[in-house]
Parts: sequence; C-alpha cells; structure tokens
Amino acid sequence: MKLDSKIPEGPLEGKWDRHRFNLKLVNPANKRKFEIIVVGTGLAGSSAAASLAELGYNVKVFCIQDSPRRAHSIAAQGGINAAKNYPNDGDSVRRLFYDTIKGGDFRSREANVYRLAQISNSIIDQCVAQGVPFAREYGGTLANRSFGGAQVSRTFYARGQTGQQLLLGAYSALMRQVALGRVQIFARREMLDLVLVDGAARGIVARNLVTGKLESHSAHAVVLCTGGYGNMFYLSTNAASSNVTASWRAHKKGALFANPCFTQIHPTCIPVSGDTQSKLTLMSESLRNDGRVWVPKKKGDARPPGQIPEGERDYYLERKYPTFGNLVPRDVASRNAKQVIDEGCGVGPTKLAVYLDFAEAIQRQGLPAIREKYGNLFDMYRHITSEDPYRVPMRIYPAVHYTMGGLWVDYDLMTTIPGLFCLGEANFSDHGANRLGASALMQGLADGYFVAPYTVGGYLAGTKLGKVEATHPNFRESESAVSERTMKLLSVKGARTATDFHKQLGSLLWDKCGMSRNEKGLKEALSKIPEIREEFWRNVTVTGENGEFNQVLERAGRVADYLEFAELLLKDALHRNESCGGHFREESQTPDNEAKRDDTHFCYVAAWEFMGVGQEPVLHKEPLTFESVPLSQRSYR
Amino acid sequence: MIEFARSSIGKKVLVALAGLFLCLFLVTHLAGNLFLLVGENAFNHYAEALEKNPLLIVAEFGLAALFLIHILVSLQVKYEDRRARPIGYLQQKSKGGSSWGSRTMIFSGLLLLVFLVVHIKTFKFGDAGEGLFRLVVTAFQNKFYVAFYVLAMSALGLHLSHGFQSAFQTLGVEHPGYTPWIKKAGCFFSALIAGGFALLPLWAYFNLGGH
Amino acid sequence: MSATIHLTLKVWRQKNASSEGRWVLYEAKNISTDMSFLEMLDAVNERLVLKGEDPIAFDHDCREGICGMCSLVINGQAHGPQKAATTCQIYMRDFKDGATVTVEPFRARAFPVLKDLVVDRSAFDRVMAAGGYISVNTGSAVEANTILIPKDKAEAAMDAAACIGCGACVAACPNASAMLFVSAKISHFALLPQGLPERERRVLAMRKAMDAEGFGNCSNEAECEAVCPKEIKLNHIARLNREFLRASILKK
Repeated sequence: MKLDSKIPEGPLEGKWDRHRFNLKLVNPANKRKFEIIVVGTGLAGSSAAASLAELGYNVKVFCIQDSPRRAHSIAAQGGINAAKNYPNDGDSVRRLFYDTIKGGDFRSREANVYRLAQISNSIIDQCVAQGVPFAREYGGTLANRSFGGAQVSRTFYARGQTGQQLLLGAYSALMRQVALGRVQIFARREMLDLVLVDGAARGIVARNLVTGKLESHSAHAVVLCTGGYGNMFYLSTNAASSNVTASWRAHKKGALFANPCFTQIHPTCIPVSGDTQSKLTLMSESLRNDGRVWVPKKKGDARPPGQIPEGERDYYLERKYPTFGNLVPRDVASRNAKQVIDEGCGVGPTKLAVYLDFAEAIQRQGLPAIREKYGNLFDMYRHITSEDPYRVPMRIYPAVHYTMGGLWVDYDLMTTIPGLFCLGEANFSDHGANRLGASALMQGLADGYFVAPYTVGGYLAGTKLGKVEATHPNFRESESAVSERTMKLLSVKGARTATDFHKQLGSLLWDKCGMSRNEKGLKEALSKIPEIREEFWRNVTVTGENGEFNQVLERAGRVADYLEFAELLLKDALHRNESCGGHFREESQTPDNEAKRDDTHFCYVAAWEFMGVGQEPVLHKEPLTFESVPLSQRSYR
Repeated sequence: MIEFARSSIGKKVLVALAGLFLCLFLVTHLAGNLFLLVGENAFNHYAEALEKNPLLIVAEFGLAALFLIHILVSLQVKYEDRRARPIGYLQQKSKGGSSWGSRTMIFSGLLLLVFLVVHIKTFKFGDAGEGLFRLVVTAFQNKFYVAFYVLAMSALGLHLSHGFQSAFQTLGVEHPGYTPWIKKAGCFFSALIAGGFALLPLWAYFNLGGH
Repeated sequence: MSATIHLTLKVWRQKNASSEGRWVLYEAKNISTDMSFLEMLDAVNERLVLKGEDPIAFDHDCREGICGMCSLVINGQAHGPQKAATTCQIYMRDFKDGATVTVEPFRARAFPVLKDLVVDRSAFDRVMAAGGYISVNTGSAVEANTILIPKDKAEAAMDAAACIGCGACVAACPNASAMLFVSAKISHFALLPQGLPERERRVLAMRKAMDAEGFGNCSNEAECEAVCPKEIKLNHIARLNREFLRASILKK
C-alpha cells in the first residue's frame, strides 16, 4: 500500500483554495440522490451532517447517546482558537499555523494545519450567526483570552462551557435539517461494523441499544466522527460512552491507524481520590492564566498549604520556563508535574497532586473578577472535593484527556478506504504529537463545517458508485460476524466483569504508556496484553441477552476492542524511539529532562495496517516535510 | 384565536386574565361590603342602589363568564396535567420552589367553588324582605356558617397568595426590578382581601349577635 | 474526611417499555463517602453482574454535569438532594449511614421508561427541531464583530443557553411541564439580535411541538427552577409567555 496524502502542489497559502477549485462538484439536482452516513454527533459530526444536508444530500446520523446534543464535545470548557487578531496583539493565520505546528512538536502536516488556521476565522463567524453566546466586551465586540502554548490572546469562549455552546449551535443546525427532512437521526445506536462493497465504504451495521437489534444502513459515503480513544486508560476525562470501537472496526476493515501513541495528558484535572473512581474531571486549562502551580520545596512536606511560607514553595513552571511560565503547553506542564511528584514533592492525601493557587490572583484582581472568570470551575471543584478553592489552593493532577492519533486521512480527510471519511478527534491529522488548548473545537468544526462538505462532494462527483442496498450480501456477512462476536461474549459466563478487565488494562497502560514511556515497560506491557485478552475471552461475564437494552454487553464489546487496540498503541509507542509532544520516551531526553525529538529517524506519520488480532501490524510511513516552518527543538523557556 | 385558546400557554393566559379581573371584582365587592360596618341604613341603601342600576345584570353576566372561564379552563388544565404524568412518584420532595399556596391551588379553588354556590344561594337568592343587612347579620349568627365563611376566606387568601403573582408571570409581566414588588403586592393583596372578607362575619357574630 | 456507609436502595425495575415495573430492594454495602452516587450504583451493579443478575440500567455519560444524560429521582428529588447539581455530581457524603434511598426514573408521559431508570427524552429533540435554531447555512455568516451584542445581553443569553436538556424540570414539575426547557431556548434566541428574524415563527412552532408531546401546563410553582442543575430561572418562562402572546397577536 502506498500512502498518498494528496497534498496539493504550490505555495502553502493557496493550497486549499486551488484544491477546492479542482474538486469536482455534484450537480445540485443530483445531490438528493446521494446518501451519506455520519457516525457521531460531536462538533465534527453535527457540523458535517448539518452542512452536508444544507447542500442537499440525504444524511443519516448515528449517535450513541439518547440525543445528538450529548456528544462529549459538550464537555470542552475553555474555548476555541481563531486567528481574528481582535486584541491587536500580533496574531495572524500564519502565527496560528506556526504555533500549532510547533505545539504539535513537528509531527503534523503543514498543509492541513495551514488550512485549519485559514478556516478558523470562518468558524467564529458561523457560530456567532447561529447564536452562540460568546463572551463579549462592554462595547459589544467579542472577547478573547489567552491559553497554553500561545503568547497571543486568540481564544473565544462562552464562560467555561464553550464546547457545550458550540455543540448546541451545531446541534441546532442539525435539528433544522431534521425538520426539513434531509437528516434522519438514529439515536442510541452503536456502530459495530463498516461495510465495504467493491473496496469502497458503502454502509454500516449498528446495534440499536434499546432493542438490541442489528440494523444495516447503506450509503454512498460514510463519515466517522466518533472521537478519541482516551477511555482505554479506564480513568480519563472522557465520557463513559466515548470509545474506540467504530474506529477500530474500520481499522480492521482496512483503514490505517496513525500515530496511536500520541495521547494527551491534561495537566489540570482533579486528582484521583480512591479506587472506586469512574472518571477524572478536567478543569479548563484557562485556570493556568491566573493560577500559579507550585509544590513545597521540602520533600514530603505535610503542612497545609497556607502554612508553607512563600520562600519554601517551588513555583516550578515559572522557575523553569520564565517566558511561558504557567502557560507552557499541556505536555510540558503534565510531565513537569509528574517529575516533581516522582521526586517526592507531591501534595494532598495521596501525594499525587500539585497545587494550583489563586491567592495572588484573588488579591490582585479581587474575588468578583475571579468568580466571574472561573466561578463554574471553582464550584465543580468544590462539589467533587468538598474543599473551597477560593480559600485553599486547588490540588491538580494530570489525566488522559485527548488522543492526537487516529485513523489516517489524506488532505481530503478520507481514510485509506475509499468513501470512508474521518473527522475531528477520530482522525490524526492536525495536532501532531501534542494538541494546543482550544484547538480541538477549532479542528472539529473546521473539518465538519468547512472541509468535509467540499471533499465528500468531490469524492461523490469523481467516483462511479453503483447502487447498493442494505440487503447486499456484504451487510448480511457483517451482521453475522457482529452477532457471532456478541453471542461469544454472552456465552463465556466467566467470573470477572468487563469493567474489572478494563481497570486492569487501564492501570497497565497508565503505568507503562502514560506520561513517560520506556522500552522495558512497553515490552512488559506488550507481553501482558495478549494474556489479559486471552483471559477476557475465557473469563468475562456478561449478563442478560442480546435482544434487549443491555449496558453490560455494550461495555464488554468496547473493552474487547480496547484489548485489541492496546497492542497497537504500545507497538507504536515502542517503535517511536524519540520523545515528541505527548509521547515522552525516557531514552530520548535532553540533559535538563526535556523531550528530545529525533527528526532524522522519526519525522514521519506512522500509519499501521491491520493484519489480524495478535498479528504483527504493518507500518507505513508518510514522511513529513517542513517547508514553511524550519524544524527546531521546541523551547518554552 | 381558537388555536391560542387551545394552547397550553393560551389556556393559562385565559385563567390568569379571568383571575385578575376577579381580583378587581373582589376589591369592589369588599369595598361595598364594608358598608356593613357603617350601619344598617348605609348598607341597605348601597344594596338597593346597586340593584336599581340597570348595568348590574350586565355586570353579573360578565362576572359569571369570568368565573366560568376561570373554573372550567383551570379544570381542563388540571386534567391535562394529571394526564401528563400517568405514573406518579413513590416519593416527591420539594427542593424549595413551590409554596403551600401553589401546591393547593386546585383544592382551595374547589372549596371556593362550593363556597360560591352557598354564598350566592344565601345572599343573592335568600329572603331579603327585611333588607339585605338583616339577611346578612342573621346568616352570620350561625356559628357553623361563620366558621365555613372564615375557612373559605382563608382558602381565598391561600389561592390569591399564589394566584396573584402567578397571573403576572403567565402574562409575561416580569422584570428583575418589579417582580419582587409584584410578589410582595400579591401577599399584601391576598391578606387584605381574605382578612377583610373574614372580618365581616366575625364582626357580625361577635358584635351584633349578643353572645 | 471519607467514611464508609451502608445503604438500602429501593429501585424501580422495569424490563422494557411495555412491561410492568416494580420496586426492588438492594443492599449497598461498604460505600465510601467520596464516591459519587453513580459510582455507588456502579459498585452495586458490579456485584449484581458477578451474581449473574441483571444490573440496574441508568443513563449517564460525561459524569461532570454537562452532558445532561443522567436523570434519576433520588429520595423524591430530581438529581438528588443538592441544588445546582446533576445526579452525577451527587456524592455519597450527602447520605446517612443505614438510610433507605429511593431511586426512581423521571416520570412523565412524554418521557416513557425504556428500562429501569432509563427514559426516552427524544421529545426534547422534536421540540428543538420545530424551531430551536437560527436558520443560517454554513458559509453565509457575516464577519463576527459586525454583530455587536452588549455584554449584559450576551450574559443573559448565556444564562439561558446553559440549559443541558436533562429534563429534570419536567421531572420535578407537578404537572410534568416542559416550559423551563422550552423557555430557555426561546430566551437564548430572543435576547440576541441573530434570533430576531425568526422570533415569532420560532415561539409559535416550539409551543405547538411542546404541546403535541404531551407535557403538562405551567402553573408557575418554580419546582423546575429549584431542581435545575444549571439554575435556569423562572423569568425565562415569563419571557416565553410574553413572546408567545406577542407572536399570537402579531400573527397574520
């Protein structure tokens, strides 16, 4: 297989414009004859489905929750970036592009990222027109705030609920198309297989989570917008239903999976309190705009934070990174937290936390100003910990949050399977090895509103697709494979729950493939995964039946897929013997413990081809070339 | 217009408007009744003047229409509300939104309906041969009747304590500056009306009965 | 500080939409007070699964109070005992050792039970499809700062837009009315200049859709406001009433 990223020729600035002109158009009268399946209704899925329907296509939308409005994009708090340069502080499309490339530690495609930066401004326009209530200045203009990894204020926000407001905007656009009859919504459905006919994606098999029945749907193209796989770590900031199943099943059908080891650990989460915890709660990193991160200088200092004098505190981010201070990118902040905790300076009952202190900000700006900016985050913290962050510093710890890796896509966001597109967090395209804050919302909406509507059309117009109904034998075949797997899960009747296996997998991955990774640990984990997987299929217990609402069965199916996918993630982490962004290999660091990239050997996208469960996957490399931003070691000092 | 009257909000608007007009009626009714305190002549004079007024019949029909709208539409709304939750809760505990008055609107309302029938039968169609004053004072010598009257007026107070401010909310009259005052006015108004009407039978019973 | 408590749960169990439900008692033993209410249910369910019994089905997703998926009426209160919180934000420190806790699904004709504590809230989606949007196609937006919105107006719109569509307002309303949900959307758009071109059409259509779903009528009791995890205020209902009256009068 030869990877063709289809990056248009010519200067960076004009690539997208020229490409759009070169893409074939579908005759307006013919659009209604095309059916498109969109799986997932987060920012990417909702915006893509609404925009495609507006163009006249027939769109079928599938979501795992009871309503498209509940997709996990809703939980994004901090904001969305755009190169509007409203604050007049020197921002531009080029700077947003540059920051994103650099923030991603030079492991993303220049052409894609440049397009993202170009589109960013239109997203804000679109969202405002939809009625998204962004924060405003007194004069009525839009307000901006700064965010990690950038020295300009380019983040637009709606209190601490930006993701929610953007998603509700996209959802409302989607519901408008539902009313117009161009979108059909299938809620409480889980995609369990991708169906190929003559090598092209022509439909999906989904399980109706209420009745348990399998449903086949045919289409001319399938758009996967099913998010990331962070939940594989068991404890993450993801929602319970976020999972890898749709992507993984597509991968098994031939879509290459790119850079799975690029996972992001978010620095500002509420620490783990006990072993019964089901999720970690993230607090927007906008908190780092005003909060100061510190630990006691003395190891094992058990005094309450208020009793530790200024001189005995180590504001380690400000000390090590005077230029960016507390606003260093997420990977840097997380890794440094791990370092000070490993050195024995952690705080709180578990010692697995650092302080995020607002005392100085409250003193400087006053309580009301802090309350206005972060009130809901402070409330959330108080709810969970029963501590008042206005009086005592917050305790924070890093947690798995986002996955930069995903299905490999070309410039058109099409995977290696013709007709299968992949948008948003589910693809690998724009964030390289580390995503900057407030860029996930930007990418999801860029893909959905402004890229896929053109490129999906280009594919449909330029491809000869025969008529395929859901009665095609390939659908029957997929259905029986899916139900065979389901029946197998139900028939094991072992002694351990799927959740238990999930916890075991999660803690293994967190230990060996979390914030820092080394060859020994990765190999150890790789040797354990097949054992856990074998035990899972021998000893898992799933209650109930297939033909009913069965949450135990749903979970078991997802855990089974994690147990296959985990191996790929570990293999990718093992093969990439360099540190870049969120992937920190202990073997590859500078004398002062910073990540050291190896551009000579690893300046490529690692795209993996599935060869069978437990079989060695085949690595395909897409070389990355940097023409506009010279390769350099990241420095935030 | 029909669609409006059939809509959930439209029905509530009708109930609210009728309710507010009925409040106006209560004010005039109470003002007239206060002639009782002045004396027999004054009260009878007022009653006669009222009955001689040719517009009274129009007003009475209007009043009857208001009552009918208020009662019938409320009952329909209540029926729909019951249907909206066919299976109820085993346990239901307020988080602090509702008040005693708001929760008992249907009961206070139904009690007032019974009162209305008795009240009209006694005073509108009672034998006022010796003047309305005598009729009223005689009726108020029965301690059960007085107790019933006072009970009904308490229900009226309760009904108004929610109904008055609720009507403004239903009509969309809301403003962060004024709404607290409307709520205060509602409390004052319900206390005034209920207290005023309840005062009369008590006054008649204790003052004129020679107990 | 964390402690361990034991509870008895009285839970509504119902196999599917068409079957009869019943009350079942469960022991929740050794529950850490640091657990969330849903984590407590997880623990009970894990034990049920190991015993080969059907675990209690309940809706949940983000577990941080924003997706609106979790529902539950706990001891007679939608989203449990705390104010301004969703069920997933309820922690076991709010419960006394040895207590019996009643757990019921949201009850409304418009929210039929699918299984146990899981209800179907798609009625909200249909109300939204009727008019809960601003009709603007992708690409046709004007430059964002050409629309100036005073800060207080934007904040007020945001207050309304914060609704997570969980349906607790319906669950807590004595009449199972959806007015708070609908009013939040109406208010959000009525406060913004972008929402004005469709102002009348929107409120008329959404009211109609709301009634068609079989929700009850609003009697201004404010139970909805009291349980709303996002503290959506009753004044939005007044605005909805106002908008509806206005649109009904202006209608041709």
